[in-house]
Amino acid sequence: MLKREPFAPTLWSTAAFVGGALLHIDRIALWATAVLLVCAAWQLYTARRQLPIPSRPVRVALTFLLVAAVLALFHTLNGLAAGTVLLVVMGAIKLLETQNRRDRYIVIGAALFLLLAACLDRQALARAPLYVAETVLCCSALAVAAYGAAGLPARVAASLAMRTLLLALPVALVLFLFFPRLPGGFWALPASDEAVTGLSDSMSPGSISELTSSYEPVFRARFAGAAPPPQERYWRGPVLHNFDGYTWRHTSGQAYRAQPLHYLGQAYRYSITLAPDANRWWFGLDIVTGSPDKHVAFSYDYTLIASAPVTQPTTYEAVSYTHTESVAPLSPFARNKETALPPARNPRTQELAARLRAHTKTDEEFLRAVVEHFRTGGFEYSLTPPKLDADSVDDFLFRTRSGFCGHFASAFVALMRAGGVPARVVTGYQGGEWNPIGGYFVVRQSDAHAWAEVWVDGHGWQRIDPTAIVAPERLRRGILDLLPDALSGRTRLLHATAWLTYLLQGWDALNTAWNARVVNFDVNSQLKLLERLGLPSADWTALVAALGSGLIVWFVWIAWHIGRSAAPRPHDRLARSYARLCAKLARAGIARDAYEGPLDYAARIAGHRPDLAPRAQPLLARYAQLRYGPMKRKATTAAIAAFERMVLRCHLERRR
Amino acid sequence: MKRYLGERFASWARWRQGADTLPVSVYYRRIYILPTRAGWGFALLLFGMFIAALNYSNSIALFLTFWLGGFALVVMHRCHRNLLGVRLTGATTAATFAGDSGALDLTLENPAALIRYGIEADLPGAAAVARDLDAHGAAGMTLAVPTKARGLMRIDRLRLTTALPFGLLRAWTWVYLPLEMIVYPHARGALPLPATGGAILGAELRGAAEGDEWLGLRGFRDGDSPRQVAWKAYAHGAPLLVKEYESRGAAERHFDFERLANLDTERRLEQLTQWVVEAEHRGERYALALPTLNIAADRGARHQERCLAALALYGLAPLRNPQARGA
Repeated sequence: MLKREPFAPTLWSTAAFVGGALLHIDRIALWATAVLLVCAAWQLYTARRQLPIPSRPVRVALTFLLVAAVLALFHTLNGLAAGTVLLVVMGAIKLLETQNRRDRYIVIGAALFLLLAACLDRQALARAPLYVAETVLCCSALAVAAYGAAGLPARVAASLAMRTLLLALPVALVLFLFFPRLPGGFWALPASDEAVTGLSDSMSPGSISELTSSYEPVFRARFAGAAPPPQERYWRGPVLHNFDGYTWRHTSGQAYRAQPLHYLGQAYRYSITLAPDANRWWFGLDIVTGSPDKHVAFSYDYTLIASAPVTQPTTYEAVSYTHTESVAPLSPFARNKETALPPARNPRTQELAARLRAHTKTDEEFLRAVVEHFRTGGFEYSLTPPKLDADSVDDFLFRTRSGFCGHFASAFVALMRAGGVPARVVTGYQGGEWNPIGGYFVVRQSDAHAWAEVWVDGHGWQRIDPTAIVAPERLRRGILDLLPDALSGRTRLLHATAWLTYLLQGWDALNTAWNARVVNFDVNSQLKLLERLGLPSADWTALVAALGSGLIVWFVWIAWHIGRSAAPRPHDRLARSYARLCAKLARAGIARDAYEGPLDYAARIAGHRPDLAPRAQPLLARYAQLRYGPMKRKATTAAIAAFERMVLRCHLERRR
Repeated sequence: MKRYLGERFASWARWRQGADTLPVSVYYRRIYILPTRAGWGFALLLFGMFIAALNYSNSIALFLTFWLGGFALVVMHRCHRNLLGVRLTGATTAATFAGDSGALDLTLENPAALIRYGIEADLPGAAAVARDLDAHGAAGMTLAVPTKARGLMRIDRLRLTTALPFGLLRAWTWVYLPLEMIVYPHARGALPLPATGGAILGAELRGAAEGDEWLGLRGFRDGDSPRQVAWKAYAHGAPLLVKEYESRGAAERHFDFERLANLDTERRLEQLTQWVVEAEHRGERYALALPTLNIAADRGARHQERCLAALALYGLAPLRNPQARGA
């Protein structure tokens, strides 16, 4: 039987690894967690009972089996998700054969790597305490493993790890703030397999109302100046051009040239922080004036499309106008595209459009007639409208007459197109919840919206929101007030209580600040920080200089701070005070010899340095009394404190 | 290769530091520190984490990496500090017989108000002994000194090390004390004890043994054992006096190097050692005659020691440092 080491180091390293793996518990397959927990339990049981570890063939077979399982699951061993599962199961097998210090170091290293993977995966503020706890756990396990067989008490190990990590915090901050960041990575990252949420590049009846049950934030917008009023807060997302009679689709690429615009009214400057949702859409307030980033295309319909999905919280700044004008005529190609309808679909809609068109001379009159039809046609705003058949617009306009923003926008644009007026569906978000603590708007999936843009000759694309025609209150109030059933009971409950709402807003503001200040800390933030620190030129050399000086200061401090505790130090206050007095006397030119008691010393001072005697003698006598005197007078705390003060105040000159 | 580099380093440190005298305080200039294997592994891990964090442009992962990097730097200072200020106040050797393991007794003191975990001491090529030092505490440790041949064994250097806390780095210091240890010849031989010579009555200085007769008191002379001093009398104000006894009926044996003519020198020394040990064990008086030295008949621990030392050093250079002869 193999001789195994004592239990505590095994327990700690196992705990560190299990802790690291548990950070991924909702991301890894259940069987991987089960394998880990079984291995950890087996390891602890056998270590406690001093049983031998599983034989080599068993371990090798287990390894092959589990790697094959990971391969079967992911078809690859590359990438964060597959790599994490692989690390968990390999570590679990390593746990089984852990029996000496080296094994334990490897297990702790694997735990730290799992922690890193968790950091790469999720950076939410709420997870930060977990990460800190795991760091402390790993470092404590390291201390216990290093101490070895005799067993370092848990309390000592934990306090050692925490104090060491605390002392390391300043240098971590200096490095974090000033270590020059790369603008991009070294090599391309494997694509994330995160589920895509939010708006897509197509819209069928009911697709938007699916979104509205989600309370997930999409982005947060902070305005530099005044914020637009609620009825102007249209956040533009995918613009949909192609209709097949049931579904609207986005046309990617540059379908036609963007119309040159005259901006009217007020410019809004704001910054937006996107929550990662694996979509490529970036959002802006109605008409954005340009692309905020070189990796984001500004397309002909004024949408922003990034080259890569948004997998990290992303912040950008933009300028928008909510009113624009375009006097140039629409190109025939664009007009053709934006009036296209599938010929054999929705015949009654075509018929209605023709009828309305016959009564109107201009496009604007036709537009007014259609708006009037929506206003007076007995339409109802509902989150749970009846299902529509394949000719969705006909079915909606003439049968159900009950729908959500998507239905209205779809039917409106189809009617306009049937009447020969260029029109398109714009999807995005409307409104947003004001967070008074953070000073920004939170736009959630439940704010998802669809509206129409209609081409009016001489004015250009104009925004028409058919939903607002049917249910004008939709713009003034959030979806929550209008359709309370839109959200889950829990969310409604939270919003019904004022202080809970306040708490939620505070937490959201904290998270937003965390994302903006910490998670998104990059080269630009570094340069801004340098500017704020008052460095003359905020560039790379300044960054390196700040880093260097910060490190030097820390190094000097840590060497002093740690080194001084190793210096000889008398046991008690009285002895320390006496040592200080002796040091003063030594500086004054007469050092106490090692064998000399206080009274002998005083006598020698009186002989050799009569100038010092009047001050030194009473102090030395007092010390002798406190230290060696009769019990009743001996060393009360107050007496010692008085002696300390006397020593501190005592001033002794060097002769000449 | 590693051993060669270690030796080169140690001799360079010897040249740099000079010889030591007790007590030795471990101060900054003489502490060396390098990562352990685990430490190199940790550095590799950090490097991997750093690359991953940079590649993902991930602030949180980067902070974690920097934090652990800072942790390693603090660990370096803590490991250094664990040894800094330790005092080596005692280093004594005990003589032993060749083939047995000798002992080097060390006393370490911790003058600071911190607990020092896992201070290790070792001799080149021997296993280390580890102790924790309490705040303001002291600890003794005994290092085994492997011996081979009789004679005067010189211990050139000993090493105080620590890898704690965390085991990522190892700080050490070399101590160059002029330590010498007498290694007696291996006590073995097939010959029986030589026949006793005539009993000689006489007074000698030694402790009382059974059957000895009280002779009286005489004045203390240097070299008298404290056990013979009449402490009771001294406590009553008398000067230091020594009690004298007469040994009775003790046989006396003569161990003569020259008489073991059919053995080579080392065998002879081993045989003589064997006799000395046996005679002392029996409580008999014995004299030792070597070509270079004659030791008159006597008995007792001091006498035995003197004889054994003479046997150990026969034909070798004299003691460099008589104090290091040990207890």
